[in-house]
Amino acid sequence: MPILQYSTSDWNATVPLFVLAVTGLAVLVFDLLVPRAVRRAVATAVGLVGCIPALVLLAGQWGHPVSAFGGAFITGGFTLVFEGVIVVATIFTLCLVNALGREDQAAGGVALLLWGASGAMLMAGAANLMTIFLGLEILSLALYCLCGFASRSGAREAALKYLILSSTASGFMLYGMALLFGATGSVALAALVLPPASQVLFAIGIGLFLIGLAFKLSLVPFHVWTPDVYEGAPLSVTAFMSVVTKAGALAVLARFIYAAVPAAHAAALLAPLWILAALSMIAGNVAALAQTDMKRLLAYSGIAQIGYVVAALAGATPLGLRYAMFYIVAYMFMNLGAFAVVALLSAHHDEGSRLRSFVGLGTRRPVLAAAMTFFLLGLAGLPPTAGFTGKILILASSVNAGYAWLAGVLVVGTAISIYAYIKIVYAMYARPAGSVATLQRVPAPLPWVGVALCAVAVLVMGLYPVFPSDVLPLVK
Amino acid sequence: MIWGLVLGPLLAGAALYLLPRRAEGPATWIAAAVAFASFLSALGLRDAPDQSVRWFQRPFTANFHVGLGSGISFWLVLLVTLVTGCALLVTRVPRQRDFVAQMLFLLAAMTGVFVARDVLLFALFFDLMLIPVFLVLVMWGPPTSSAWRYLIYNLSGGLGLLLATAAYGVINGSTDVIGTSVGAGATAIGNIYGPWIFAGFALAFLIKTPVWPLHTWMPDTYADLPPPVVAAVSAVQSKAGLYGFIVIGLALFPTYMHAAAPVMFVLGLISLLYGGLVALTQDDLKRIVAYSSLSHLGLIILAIFSFNSVALAGAVVYIIAHGLFSAALFLILGWIESREETRSLARLGGLGARNPRLAGALVIAALAALGLPGLCGFAGELLILTGVYKAGYVWPAAIALIPIVLAAAYMLRLYQGTMNGPEVPDLPQRPDLTWLEGLALTPLVIAIVWLGVDAGPLARIEPQLTHVVGLDAGCLPRNSAAAAVGVRVTAAPGLSADQTADVLSACYAIAGTGELATFDSVRADYLRDSTLLVPMKEHHADTSIQH
Repeated sequence: MPILQYSTSDWNATVPLFVLAVTGLAVLVFDLLVPRAVRRAVATAVGLVGCIPALVLLAGQWGHPVSAFGGAFITGGFTLVFEGVIVVATIFTLCLVNALGREDQAAGGVALLLWGASGAMLMAGAANLMTIFLGLEILSLALYCLCGFASRSGAREAALKYLILSSTASGFMLYGMALLFGATGSVALAALVLPPASQVLFAIGIGLFLIGLAFKLSLVPFHVWTPDVYEGAPLSVTAFMSVVTKAGALAVLARFIYAAVPAAHAAALLAPLWILAALSMIAGNVAALAQTDMKRLLAYSGIAQIGYVVAALAGATPLGLRYAMFYIVAYMFMNLGAFAVVALLSAHHDEGSRLRSFVGLGTRRPVLAAAMTFFLLGLAGLPPTAGFTGKILILASSVNAGYAWLAGVLVVGTAISIYAYIKIVYAMYARPAGSVATLQRVPAPLPWVGVALCAVAVLVMGLYPVFPSDVLPLVK
Repeated sequence: MIWGLVLGPLLAGAALYLLPRRAEGPATWIAAAVAFASFLSALGLRDAPDQSVRWFQRPFTANFHVGLGSGISFWLVLLVTLVTGCALLVTRVPRQRDFVAQMLFLLAAMTGVFVARDVLLFALFFDLMLIPVFLVLVMWGPPTSSAWRYLIYNLSGGLGLLLATAAYGVINGSTDVIGTSVGAGATAIGNIYGPWIFAGFALAFLIKTPVWPLHTWMPDTYADLPPPVVAAVSAVQSKAGLYGFIVIGLALFPTYMHAAAPVMFVLGLISLLYGGLVALTQDDLKRIVAYSSLSHLGLIILAIFSFNSVALAGAVVYIIAHGLFSAALFLILGWIESREETRSLARLGGLGARNPRLAGALVIAALAALGLPGLCGFAGELLILTGVYKAGYVWPAAIALIPIVLAAAYMLRLYQGTMNGPEVPDLPQRPDLTWLEGLALTPLVIAIVWLGVDAGPLARIEPQLTHVVGLDAGCLPRNSAAAAVGVRVTAAPGLSADQTADVLSACYAIAGTGELATFDSVRADYLRDSTLLVPMKEHHADTSIQH
């Protein structure tokens, strides 16, 4: 069998992610050519220009499923939705890039973001264990560097913490993959459906694999790194991690649940996963109650939100996958909108993420406060936002799949989360007790674009939810 | 067009933010004009055809379906637009432009609750209407925790409602069922989820109403809200729960409603007595009215759970009546507070001598609240008590009489404590009711008197409720021995012949006994003969007023 003969269609399937990777290189080249003063602007512009063709190419692939490289990379509806989320989140992150490192580091940051995104896109389409690991490591290596980009000492701590813990998780995952390979004799996800040679190796392998994945998704109890890393990393990197890492890992998880786990054993093998989801929904929201820093708050909120998404997958129903995808898109817009507002509040040497920078915002900057309120209502699952619609759909699909208890946990978690989110709204609108320090803001038009786009998207998705209908057949 | 009732105030509220911050007067006038325009449009849209747009189709069908009809939704929309309009006329707060915008958002959301014909849409507005009230409490209320208590209590109920809605949708296949009944588009949820789904709805409605012991958010919230908003919240928002029990509970869960009736009766009676007794002891004017609301709304719970069409007609009348007099009371108390800078009954006194018009306004509202015949409170109370008694609940009806006496006591205490007695020397002396305040109160007073004299139009319950009561024979049978041939009916005490005819015809139509009987023909028969032989089917025996 000629192993290394790939056709054009194989390469075509992966062109969008190569476009991002090559754009990363272009950013570095342009950085050498332009004067120092405009380096950040040029890097951002080149990055944005590179993302557009990637999106166009993704749109062009819609409805043309391809199984490339001998089944190692599958594209089509399912993959494209996640790849789209990753590219769009990268575009929004680039809009926030004024909060990324020093002027002369900006190009490196942008390049690493683009490479990280290409790794996540590889995860989204990966259909064998090797490709999954390749994508995961490309993403993680970029993030190790990015976490340390801020000049604060906290940033280095965050980077080191992430490096050590994430490598450990990768180790777990790799060992799990090795055991799965040992049990089935194949690295293809599809091969896992077949009866394994050793049931014990198979079960342990799946367990270790899921642990690694749960770490990347920051499901409780594999979440403890998240708040510290989110807090220490630069704002734009935090925004990027909160969406792109999770989208990539979620794509892998979904493909694993729907394509790899034999239906006969699904209930038993995946039960721990639903328990992790339930724990995340409760613990994430409870921990969020006490946070006074927006980045930590959104870290814990993200833990709970991913719990909601995993709950949608419970029972592995076709509808559940669609609602999980709907919710991840909704989460992306709500979360990035909130991050964009924080970016607009940031000043030199102050990221604006402390709760105190929100005090009195309702009177100082009413439009910004209204936008933030809208995103927080969405994250809390209140109408008329995508969060509300997404949550009702997840509730319905959990009940439908026979996981009513998970729906009950979701409602309890949401009830707890209300205080965590609305606390920010309260701070913005309550009359401030003392004087409010107004810091010198960095003028930034790009985050405003992000805020506006996210707000429109959250509203439209709330009132007019649309799902692609043909995604499920393309998982396998 | 019906969507205009929701979108109009919503967009107008957003547009107000385009005005300069200083344009407080124009903003208020525009907002009041929008509210009154909504009132007139709602009048014009009576029985307008429903409007529906597809929301999503899977995992269940949900539509943006709104309708007004001519029944309880119609009256509640009239009430909310009227109360909001009147309250807006006399709004005086700092940062007034933002305040009136929030009032319009609140109006839009509350209208949405009552026109929604889809349970999910109902749940959406049910949750949405909390947000403007929360923001008003945060921005204009005193720095207390009442905002949090309000939000967390009500939103917990709202989330229960959401889960129940999702589960109902999955099982029934569609949530577009308000205004239908079991068998007509809605499924009787008979499996193990049924009681839980009903419990989710019931919890949300009980918190919203509120009913003892879930009422603890209410007195603080009412005390801390500025008068225009507390008028709207007490008059209308608290009715969303009762409305839910009628259009969702009775229509979709008759069996569970019936099963829950004993509990609800106990909760309703405790609310009645507890609210009345606590109101007697309060010093804060707004808290007196808050606890009186607890008492009054407990009566409506009794009415709904007695499954009797007379009581149900009374519930509808009393829902509107309570909205009218509590809105008037809270507005007047707000004026007293802004004039005298206190709400303490111990501080106040003797205002009547120099403020005769204020005293006159307060006396009308207070008398309506204590159920004076000829004012709106009486009509509702009478129908409810008659119905509850007729349904066979003799003792509850008797106990429910006690708070009516209590109401007289605390309302007169409130009036005497503020208006009568010697003048308190160190109270600020302020001008009497202004013409604008009088103007704002006029529509409410007119409605209070009109409803007291002629509650007929309200007691004619819409076809929607006809379904509701007639749908489940299991709800109705009581007194079946009296029902062999029919019941001869003459004028009920305290009602004119005309009113009795209205009530009877409504009940007759509701019970669905006569194949040929329509509302108008029954009414004409009764007026011609001054008596009516109602050929009762067995299980409809309770639907008469026998005298």
